[in-house]
Formats: sequence, structure tokens, C-alpha cells
Amino acid sequence: MSGVAVYGVGTSRFAKQPERSLAELAWDAVLEALADAAVDRVDAAYVGTVFGPPGVAQRVLHTLGIVDVPVVTIENACASGTTALHEARAAILAGRYETVLVLGIEQLTAAFTGAIHPEPTDPEGRSGMALPSLYAMSAARYLHAGWVTPEQLALVSVKNHRHALANERAQYGGHHTVAEVLGSRMIADPLTLLQCCPISDAAAAAIVGPLRDERRDVPIRASQLRSGALWDQRAEHVWGFELVRDVAGAAYAEAGVGPAEVDLFELHDAFTIGEIVTTEALGLAEAGGGGELVSSGHTALGGKQPVNPSGGLLSRGHPLGATGVAQVAEVVWQLRGEAGDRQVDGARIGVVETMGGGVSGIDGNGAVVAVLGG
Amino acid sequence: MPEPLLDGARCTVCGYAVAFPRPRCPACGAAVAPARFGPEGTVWSATVVRVAVPGRTPPYGLAYVDLDDGPRILAHTEGDAPVPIGSRVRLVASGGDGDVVVSAAPG
Repeated sequence: MSGVAVYGVGTSRFAKQPERSLAELAWDAVLEALADAAVDRVDAAYVGTVFGPPGVAQRVLHTLGIVDVPVVTIENACASGTTALHEARAAILAGRYETVLVLGIEQLTAAFTGAIHPEPTDPEGRSGMALPSLYAMSAARYLHAGWVTPEQLALVSVKNHRHALANERAQYGGHHTVAEVLGSRMIADPLTLLQCCPISDAAAAAIVGPLRDERRDVPIRASQLRSGALWDQRAEHVWGFELVRDVAGAAYAEAGVGPAEVDLFELHDAFTIGEIVTTEALGLAEAGGGGELVSSGHTALGGKQPVNPSGGLLSRGHPLGATGVAQVAEVVWQLRGEAGDRQVDGARIGVVETMGGGVSGIDGNGAVVAVLGG
Repeated sequence: MPEPLLDGARCTVCGYAVAFPRPRCPACGAAVAPARFGPEGTVWSATVVRVAVPGRTPPYGLAYVDLDDGPRILAHTEGDAPVPIGSRVRLVASGGDGDVVVSAAPG
């Protein structure tokens, strides 16, 4: 059977750590991934990053002696890391490389102190549309429709911060109550501070190559990527729903599995509403049923289909380019049974979903859905 | 003073409306013609931004507004609370170098 597998993964700690250089973050992630994969050289590197700076891939890789190979840098907003994985897999399937490094890297504290600045060359960005307000529009719409309650939104934050307590790499674990989440500072109505992911500095790496007969390898059964369709006055769904639904549908078809067969999900909870909408788009519930998934415990550790056992973006932190590869690392650890106190019992199939946004007029810059394991 | 309207384009074939210049219809590829939209529409969703954004003084209100027979636009709103979803609003400033602003439409 032809295919591609993850041989090894690694990440730095996720934190606001401006005192560490981008190279140092990469050292942690890449050296761990190489050791985990038991390889000492790669044929190519695909590097996902958003705020760079220019040349960051070669600048950090040469300090590890990763030179004289093709290096491709990819920017696809929050989906940059998983887009790098998607393209690395495609190159391996095409027979171009045997062993490829996928690296996601970002140092957001070098660029921002608070929320990521809206992009002034974008019409909505120029008009002051920050990412929290984009997601707030979806949350307000869901609340208006009665598709979610404020308490259910808060429960996503409570759950993911609790999950992160068992993840020593995560930025902010914690025992929070619904009241604390709803009572934290308002960022963009109705989203409060504890419903928004923090900026973060980190790197995450994966070594991928052709399927082979190695027990610890984790097959990538499917990976799908596309940009959003026009999102405009014709749209009935909130921003991003249809893109994730369609990309997920293609990924499930490629993998030959349905959402009910998936044991865990690492998905794009940049804001609490993001997890609600995405669980619906991934087929765990009908549209409007995502709130019940979290209030029933279905998506909590110990529930039937845990979502974001790592703590997700809300708690691990969201260093844009590193996020997707960190999601892959979590699923790899889970499928190998190496996730410690946050292990999903008997996990066999895991799904990664990453959603990038910021360009107005479309349903997302890009979404990646990958199915691993099985 | 003339009523503010929003300059954009409409597809000559499928009728798709967009609030910005386009070289062809992004929905079907056919030719577009200049069009003006507004002045009234319905709020699709709304929020108030309460964090620092470069060049902005929080809090400021934002709304997605579906202009009647026109595009969905992002507009600034007045006051310190999100404007109600489903409410009727009217353009009070139509952009250009500044923001698009709406306020509650008169009964």
C-alpha cells in the first residue's frame, strides 16, 4: 500500500518567550522530532509561518545543519503548519522525497503585545475588523439563532483549559468555572478574554515519509486543503462553516472513514465559538448541535469523542505557523498511546483541522483536514 | 446633501453584488457594471471591539449589514452596545477614504 506516515514529532514549549530566539524554538522541536523518528537527515523541509520574518526557515534550519536541500516556506494564515504538512505529503506521494521535515514556527511576541493587528491592505482589516471580532460575529449570530448558549460557549473554555492541565507544553492550563469565563474581560461581544486564544511563541515539527512497517509510525490516511468560497450576502452559515464542512467531507472520503469512527479531534478553537461551529462542520452534530456536544461531555476527555485533549489553541496557545504541526504532534502521541494523563483510551483514528482566516470576502484563507491513524 | 450610497459593482448576467471594484464577476466570471447600493439594509450580525487595534480607539461597534438588494458589508455602528441582529439600519457615511457607518433606520 502506498501512502505517507508520520515517523516522529516534537515541539518546543508553548509560551510567551521573547527571550528565546526563533532558532532556539526550532532546535527544541526539530531535534525532538528527529530523535523520535530515529533519523538524522532529511531530503527537504516544508516550513509554515505567518509573520516570518523573511528567510526564517533557512535562518533557523542552517543552525541545525539542515542545508543543501529544498526548503519551501508556506504562509496560509493559521493553517500554515498543516498546509506545510499537506504539501510535504503530496511531494512524498509524488515520489520526490523519502524523508521530509515539516516545521511550523512563530514568535508572535516579536510582533504584537495583544491581538494580532488587522491587515490594513484588506478592506475589512482596514475598517478595524480584528480576528476576535470576526469570530464574535459568528458567536453573536449563533446566540441570536438560539444555536448555542453563553454557558455552552464558556464550557468550551472550561473544558480545554482543564485538558491543558495534563499538557506540560501548554501555555495556560487551569480550573475555570463558567462564571469566571463569562465574567472575564470582554474582548469583542460576546467573546470574553478566556474565550480567546493567547498569542504565543513556539515551534513544532514532524518527520514524514513513505509508509513503512514500523510500529510507531502513524499513517496520514487523508489530507485535504482548499481556500474558502465567496462568503457574502448569499451565505446562510457563519464564516468558515461551509469551508470546513466541505474539506472535511473530502478528507473523510479519502480516508474511507466517517466522523463517528474518529476517536479524537484536534481542531481550531482559536475562540470558543470556533470549536462549536467546527464540531458541527466536522459532522459530530447537526448545525446548532455543537453546544450540546460540550455540555453533555461528549467532547471532553473521558467522553465519547474528545476534542482538543491537548488544551487546543485556547490553552496551548496559538503561535500561528506552529499550531497545525502541534495539532499533528498531539494526534500522533494520542494514537501511539504516549499522551500520559490526557490519553484518550484506545485511540485509533484522529482528525486534525486547522482554519486560517483574515481575508475578507471569502469563507476562509484556507482549511486543512487530515485523518491520521487506523 | 446627497444620501450616502455605496459604490460597487453588479454582474450583468447573474446579478451578483459586490461593494468593491471588480474586473469581472467573482461569482460567475461575466462582465460587471458599476452600481450603487443602499441606503438601507438589515443587520446580519454585530459586535463591539473592546481591545486596542492600531489607529482605533476602543470600544467601537461593527456590524455585517446586508444592504437591500445589495452586498453584505462591514460597517461601523454608533454607541457602546452591539446593534440588534435583524434590525434595520441606514448608511450615514459610505466609505471612500473613511469607514462605512450605519445607524438605526427611521421607523
